[in-house]
Amino acid sequence: MNGAQIILEALQREGIDTVFGYPGGANLPIYQHLPEYRSLRHVLVRHEQGAAHMADGYARASGRPAAVFATSGPGALNLVTGLCTAFMDSVPMVVVTGQVPTAMVGRDAFQEADVVGCTQPVTKHNYLVTRVQDLPRVMREAVHLATSGRPGPVLVDVCRDVQQASCEPSWPEELDLPGYRLPGPPDRSRLEEAARALDRAERPVILAGHGVILSRAEPELLALAERAAVPVGTTLLGIGAFPVRHPLSLHMTGFMGTGWNLRAVQEADLLLCVGMRVDDRVTAKLDEWAPRAETFIHVDIDPSEIGKNRRPHIEVVADARAALGGLAELVTPPEPERRRLWLTRIERWREEHPLRYLRSDGQLQPQDVVIEMYRRCRDRAIVVADVGLNQIWAALWWNYDRPGRFLNSGGAGTMGFALPAAIGAKLACPEQAVWCVAGEGGFVMTAQELSVAVEHGLDVKVVLLNNFSLGMVRQFQDDFYGGVRSQVGLHVIPDFVKLADAYGLAGCRVERLDEVPAAFDFAERTPGPVLIDCRIDPEANVYPIVPLGKGLNDFRELPDEYA
Amino acid sequence: MSTRERLRVLTAVVQDHPGVLFRVCGMVRRRGFNIQGLSVGPTDQEGRSRMTLAVDAGHAEVDQVAKQLDRLVEVIEVRDLTEEPTLNRQLALVKLAVTGPHRDRAVAEVDRAGGRVLDAGPEHLIAEVSGEQERVERLIGSLRPFGLIEVARSGPVAMSKGIPKRIAEEVSHA
Ligand SMILES: Cc1ncc(C[n+]2csc(CCOP(=O)(O)OP(=O)(O)O)c2C)c(N)n1
Repeated sequence: MNGAQIILEALQREGIDTVFGYPGGANLPIYQHLPEYRSLRHVLVRHEQGAAHMADGYARASGRPAAVFATSGPGALNLVTGLCTAFMDSVPMVVVTGQVPTAMVGRDAFQEADVVGCTQPVTKHNYLVTRVQDLPRVMREAVHLATSGRPGPVLVDVCRDVQQASCEPSWPEELDLPGYRLPGPPDRSRLEEAARALDRAERPVILAGHGVILSRAEPELLALAERAAVPVGTTLLGIGAFPVRHPLSLHMTGFMGTGWNLRAVQEADLLLCVGMRVDDRVTAKLDEWAPRAETFIHVDIDPSEIGKNRRPHIEVVADARAALGGLAELVTPPEPERRRLWLTRIERWREEHPLRYLRSDGQLQPQDVVIEMYRRCRDRAIVVADVGLNQIWAALWWNYDRPGRFLNSGGAGTMGFALPAAIGAKLACPEQAVWCVAGEGGFVMTAQELSVAVEHGLDVKVVLLNNFSLGMVRQFQDDFYGGVRSQVGLHVIPDFVKLADAYGLAGCRVERLDEVPAAFDFAERTPGPVLIDCRIDPEANVYPIVPLGKGLNDFRELPDEYA
Repeated sequence: MSTRERLRVLTAVVQDHPGVLFRVCGMVRRRGFNIQGLSVGPTDQEGRSRMTLAVDAGHAEVDQVAKQLDRLVEVIEVRDLTEEPTLNRQLALVKLAVTGPHRDRAVAEVDRAGGRVLDAGPEHLIAEVSGEQERVERLIGSLRPFGLIEVARSGPVAMSKGIPKRIAEEVSHA
């Protein structure tokens, strides 16, 4: 076997079935042997960034990792944004890049770049392989590291001569990673302590992050919340960890979270955060966050997340599922009377601070579009949002009941994520309807991947919430930067229906609310990808929103005159 | 907090793979910490190196430096020695351009400060001094008037005093 075959064989052995990739000088040996490996489905992307986002969407939708191939230099560097996106959101991915031949490394050879150096900050781990006999071990380690513990992307950079060198592979039985330890079961006494704190709390709140979804801990979260009668909010990436329509749901937290969620977080005397980083989009101004929480309990699989931003009173380093399951058993269900006051207060906040938007017969409101989509698909669809206002509308105006139904780039906020990630999600879950929601700004950043959807006949329905501007930046400028609208107008954009046509997919345009149902009928009727260009109110905003630099208490709602 | 108060002294046992030093330094920089002193050397175990780092933790919580180091796959064990009784040593080589009567006084000064003359020529002396950072700095200062032309200093090497409980138990069982 040669190195290229070992790489392909290793992926196959590890159960990876899909590769998103792009060939070039430094990975041609891999492509030469690819056809021998029939169980590996290769998807030829149109830009390497698309490959990383597709593998990302694939893993977020299915929980299974995919592989990514790229050539050296510019090919590998085009992956960096996609790696960062996956890394920030703890998404597993195995990336194999070609590197110049061993003897050329360090000489500024054609298409040489220090890929291991460039990708170190955006991968969980990475390797440069200069000896073919190392490949079986490195490939096994790469898959193990990517998928275990707190998942993340792992990159293996392989010199071209190594891909061509022969060796009889010896596949390691055991991995020897002395510096990589996975957390064991949660510390019993910490869980006891947390359970007693929950028993004592008058105004408890649970916040759930992506970690709950990654560890498939939704049943345990539901059991804990119901047993202890504790309301549950989620982060943007935690959406789906707890059913939005559940009576105990606080919906989304953070600087664009729901008013009743923010009130509850700010009033809580106990806050239990599970599988989340407690980052600035969740806390807004950190020293004004959850000021009344006498007990802050933080559960995370990554010890470095605990105490990074706010020091907890009780910390549990463990997988979310084990910790929540343990807690659910240990808590004592409160007398219904005991929680009534707190839950009634939350109910009142829900009524005082409902999600609102501008109702208008004139211009199309984005929320109306999302609501119509939801009415049709309920929880049968996977919604992949891009970044910007469209992302928050899709997060807030849909009642997600299950995990893996709302995918978006939370930590990195990468515009251009949605279309390729939706393609990846569709390939992972062909039986699910997949809707891609994007602004016209982010969409054009990776629009070339439409060809992939067409080539594979993928039923990905693209809904553009087209406001002819970089909407979220425009809102920030209006609200926080003196109303100076600077470089946010996208006055010259393609005719998206013609663009769809040029790429070989069906498209239509919607300008009024009453045209929406027909457009969705058309999209649902038409097999394969469809693009709907929704010309929405260019002034539509996201509310509530916490002004930059302010605390959660200062959230602003839709001004009354618009409601 | 002053830089001094934010300073953490850590030791890390790492796999001695190519690029490990780059990974450790990159992580320290990315997290907004700053390396004030660093030394690396082999351990008595094959394939393992030991690093001593003096790190300014910046605005981070004090345990973040150790936790972030520990996250690196090739870092096997991290200890934060800042709060423990620790021995912390540095080494310096000092070259002086000295002739005539200065020379004897310089040698006497090196002696007085507990240093050692390693090399002597007609026009120069090289002295070695080791100890806590302050001591090394004091000696260098006291030699300055004698025509100091070059100083080479190592980073810190640190070790906690006593025997950790775990190892003490193993030893007593043996
Ligand atoms: C790659 C990248 N560049 C810049 C930004 C900053 N940014 C955040 S939201 C936004 C506007 C997005 O506009 P559009 O895609 O039209 O979506 P809208 O907000 O209008 O829904 C920008 C520029 C980003 N998140 N990602």
